[in-house]
Amino acid sequence: MSGATLAHPSVDEKQEPETGKLGMWVFLASEVLFFGGLFVAYLVGRVRFPAGWAEGSRHTDVLLGTVNTAVLLTSSAAVALAVACEEDGHARRWKARLLSLTAALGTVFLLLKGLEWHDEWREHLLPGPDFALHVAGAQQFFALYFLVTGLHGVHMVCGIVALSLLARGRARARPWAGARELEVAALYWHFVDVVWIFLYPLLYLVDRHG
Amino acid sequence: MADHHAGPSGFARERRTIAFAWIALLLLMLTSLGSAYARLGPWNMVAGLVIAGIKAGIVAWLFMRLREAGVLIRLAAVAGLGAWCILLVLSGVDYATRTLTPADVQRPQQLPPVHGAASQPH
Repeated sequence: MSGATLAHPSVDEKQEPETGKLGMWVFLASEVLFFGGLFVAYLVGRVRFPAGWAEGSRHTDVLLGTVNTAVLLTSSAAVALAVACEEDGHARRWKARLLSLTAALGTVFLLLKGLEWHDEWREHLLPGPDFALHVAGAQQFFALYFLVTGLHGVHMVCGIVALSLLARGRARARPWAGARELEVAALYWHFVDVVWIFLYPLLYLVDRHG
Repeated sequence: MADHHAGPSGFARERRTIAFAWIALLLLMLTSLGSAYARLGPWNMVAGLVIAGIKAGIVAWLFMRLREAGVLIRLAAVAGLGAWCILLVLSGVDYATRTLTPADVQRPQQLPPVHGAASQPH
């Protein structure tokens, strides 16, 4: 028997450090098309119903939307910092805490979003027979608004669960919560942030000066 | 691939980059908010989307580390965007070249029976 140990045949970390990341980027490319279809629907609606879109957007809560945007941008910075902590031996102990912070900020986002939805429901802005606005297209705007923010919220939930699990795993030095896993999860989180970056002006900032 | 992040000074640099990017993102967000209240007509949407594009670029380039990613990963990112552009253009052409014949909205009403003038036993 040779004394040499064999490397695992299919996973050679030194040669394929980017496999996980490439896989996530390919998934994110499909997600671009998933949300992208809704963005195209938004653009078609906006061109078709400019007054309805403006009326609808004016009834969104721009303060909550702005605060939420700030919360999500900060959460992206937090998870980026968590990934960067890998480079420094002293900073590594901050990874779990930064991951928990990111998940917490994501939860704050969802709570504020829920608050917004509740207010909009109370103001009869849910599409339906007693919809409050009577400009053509305003209902379509809000139909898209609830659909796209709802889907975004589902993505946030998945991200929060993943980051929370990784935070716990990292704190307990589990092998499945290593640097590569964290990088991949962080990519997903940044993507969810990028979707919101575009949703913010499209949903909250249409014809605000009207 | 050269790893210029390694070591404490690499981490300090990375930390600074993240901090500046975060501040830039928040400032861009406030600029976008402010520009929405200026009377710019159709340029309001342009301004909003351009600013959003810059913010997305900062997140993709710095946070998602496309800056140092290999060709394959950059290709995957571009492919996603490219496929969406195709979706946008083809759907846009479809909708732009349609003639719309809107139907009147009808209030729900009780209609007479379809078959026969006399009412049928049910």
